[in-house]
Amino acid sequence: MTESATDVVTPNLDSCVRIGSIVSSNSHLDYVVEILKGRDCDRPPELHEREFGQPVFIKKVVDGTEHAVMGVIYDTKLVDPDQGRTGPRLAQDDQAQFTPGYIEERTTLAGVALLGTAVITDNRSIADPTHRMPRWTLEVDDTVYHCPDEVALSFHTVDEQLQLAYLDRLVDIAGDLGSEVIVALIDRLRRMLPEDDPSQRTLDVVEQNIEWQARERRGVV
Amino acid sequence: MSGHSSAVGTVAGPGDDPNEFVFITPAEKSLKTGEFITYTVTVDGENRSVFARVTNRELIRGLPEGFLADPQVAPETVATTLGVPTDDTELYRLTATVIGYYNTDMTTFANPRQLPEPGTPLSIAPDRQLETVLPNLGCDTDSADVTDLDGIAHIGWLLNRSPEATNIHIPIEEFASTHLAILASTGSGKSYTASVLIEEMMGPGARASLLVFDPHGEYDTLAEMQGHETFKGEDGYEPGVVYYDPERLRVRISELEIGDVMAVLDNPSNRMQDRLSTAWRSMQRQESRTWGINELINEMEGIYGEDDASVGALEWRLRRSIERNDLFHPEDNVPLNDIVDPGQCTVLQMDTLDRRNQQLITTVLLRRMYRERLDAVRGRDSEIEHPIFALFEEGHRFAPASGDAPSLGIMRTITSEGRKFGFGLGIISQRPSKIDQDVLSQCGTQISMQIQNPNDQDAIKKSIEAAGEDVLRELPGLTPGQAVVSGDAMNTPALIQVRGRRTQHGAGSLPVIEKWRDAYEQQQREPTHSEAADFGGGESTGVQSLD
Ligand SMILES: Nc1ncnc2c1ncn2[C@@H]1O[C@H](COP(=O)(O)OP(=O)(O)O)[C@@H](O)[C@H]1O
Ligand SMILES: [Mg+2]
Repeated sequence: MTESATDVVTPNLDSCVRIGSIVSSNSHLDYVVEILKGRDCDRPPELHEREFGQPVFIKKVVDGTEHAVMGVIYDTKLVDPDQGRTGPRLAQDDQAQFTPGYIEERTTLAGVALLGTAVITDNRSIADPTHRMPRWTLEVDDTVYHCPDEVALSFHTVDEQLQLAYLDRLVDIAGDLGSEVIVALIDRLRRMLPEDDPSQRTLDVVEQNIEWQARERRGVV
Repeated sequence: MSGHSSAVGTVAGPGDDPNEFVFITPAEKSLKTGEFITYTVTVDGENRSVFARVTNRELIRGLPEGFLADPQVAPETVATTLGVPTDDTELYRLTATVIGYYNTDMTTFANPRQLPEPGTPLSIAPDRQLETVLPNLGCDTDSADVTDLDGIAHIGWLLNRSPEATNIHIPIEEFASTHLAILASTGSGKSYTASVLIEEMMGPGARASLLVFDPHGEYDTLAEMQGHETFKGEDGYEPGVVYYDPERLRVRISELEIGDVMAVLDNPSNRMQDRLSTAWRSMQRQESRTWGINELINEMEGIYGEDDASVGALEWRLRRSIERNDLFHPEDNVPLNDIVDPGQCTVLQMDTLDRRNQQLITTVLLRRMYRERLDAVRGRDSEIEHPIFALFEEGHRFAPASGDAPSLGIMRTITSEGRKFGFGLGIISQRPSKIDQDVLSQCGTQISMQIQNPNDQDAIKKSIEAAGEDVLRELPGLTPGQAVVSGDAMNTPALIQVRGRRTQHGAGSLPVIEKWRDAYEQQQREPTHSEAADFGGGESTGVQSLD
């Protein structure tokens, strides 16, 4: 990637890295995504592209209009189906075992919380972001894409003002890690904004509030 | 229930005190503490508007304080960032104290002895109603056009409302007969407020007979009332303003009481006091009222012999303290009919007199006037056939809480008995704690303005039982011209803005900078600096006429 903070090239949504696909959900806003491995595609996501706090999106056509349903990775989980089996393993590492209905190999799962939606424009970027709860359900096997920082910033700019209006919902879904995922998102936004942008200070205040609430919840203060 | 459309809040329940209730308002119905609200209750089968005063206001729902962490970031910006709506978020919990409903028979507030039910809608009390019921005007309805009434003084309007929205008229008769106290720190507007009241009392509606004891020369501009259209009556009435400068202020020696004389003498011995008392009494029994120190000394020498050492010492003291003091005179006196007349305001300018002389002239004048009022009321011949009102600047000087002042006795007498004889006093002071408690507590109407000193605040609290804590709490925060009016002239205390004067305000601090600059300029224009000082007058060459 060649972009820098100052000369922003709006990335094409169609050339975004695929992170994985949906395997299940815990609720309307809380999905489980299986991360792609090298075997499944040409260009599996790199570790930093599917890290904690990474914004993601899923494409959905609703009523003839293509939308991006925005989300964030708020948790991850490693699954090893062999765990707990006794005795030496006979199968080769790369030899798939047939266990229908189950994840049968070592996999990384990511929890994705939905944040809002936006319209995908003809020039393959986003417009009209909203942080209201998305009403549409995603499907198993829907592809989850890595959301570039520029798109994330544009999703967070509502009516020309920085917004994280999904915050309380995100805290509900992400639970104990709620404040950390928000801080990670804020860090990302801060890096995207010019140093002297007035929103920097607003983000500071928001971050302070979130961290303080988390400390209170955990009984630190 | 009526009044929903104008409702500003809803009763939540009882408060801590038996007369208190708590209610809730949204942010946009901004109610200040001190505001008057009403609700309707049924008393004896009749719907009554009960009035209550807002005493406290706290935010119960609003943006978290964490949003205020950075002074450069508006809390609304943080709220918008988090998608928190910023309109209509705030809710306030207010406390109000029930004043009562206006009882038209008793023409004052009566306590309904029941708090409003939770859910009762509250409205802002209408201006006209407050104008009728807050002051003690004796109206037989709870909403009248009070400007039609006679003998009222428009002192200002409720501070919590827009200027002139709720005008407060106090009954002149009430404060002029049961005495008035105006208490505040220097510069808070005491003299200004007193002048406003003087203007009201001198108007064609009241035509008062006023005396102002002015130790600072602050009332010079009252003369503007003469010839001023607003003070003229349809029958040709015009107020008179008479200034009595120190040269005309005289005390006839025979008017002095022995206590007064003792107060001006230098440290007389017991024996001297004895001899003087005896001689003074015998002089006072004489036919003549125009004797001087010579006659007094003759009398003493007659009794004790010419060589008596104490008489000699007394002679020296009497000549020094009385004879050589221009204030005292064997014959001259301030003629009472010069200084008291209906429709006349007399300003006794005492600014060049020392404190003792101020006290003495005051003592003697008050005593003489009180005697005349007594005679008038008892049907005897009197020089003062009508009620009078005397206003004192530096009231603590004439009725001090500690130390001696010859005037204290007569001040106490008038404040406790004066209402029977049509003699009212107005005490103005910046040190309420230094005023004699008996005198202060007898002042039925109080106008209290900004005051910081805790002792003085306490003194006000002690003398104003009627004004609750909540009103007195306002005192330190008031700015010049804002006042709490309480006592006999009001049915309940109110926080007001005193109206502007019709005449100019003469008091106030000296414009120092201006004076310096003028003086400097003056000096620069003098041809040479070595010339003898020329303070203007006939011979000055053109310097003044250049202006
Ligand atoms: N009601 C008022 N309206 C306008 N100005 C006022 C009012 N009361 C006081 N002031 C201002 O405050 C100043 C001080 O008032 P003053 O009566 O001389 O104070 P005090 O007698 O208490 O020392 C006045 O010169 C005037 O400018
Ligand atoms: Mg003054």
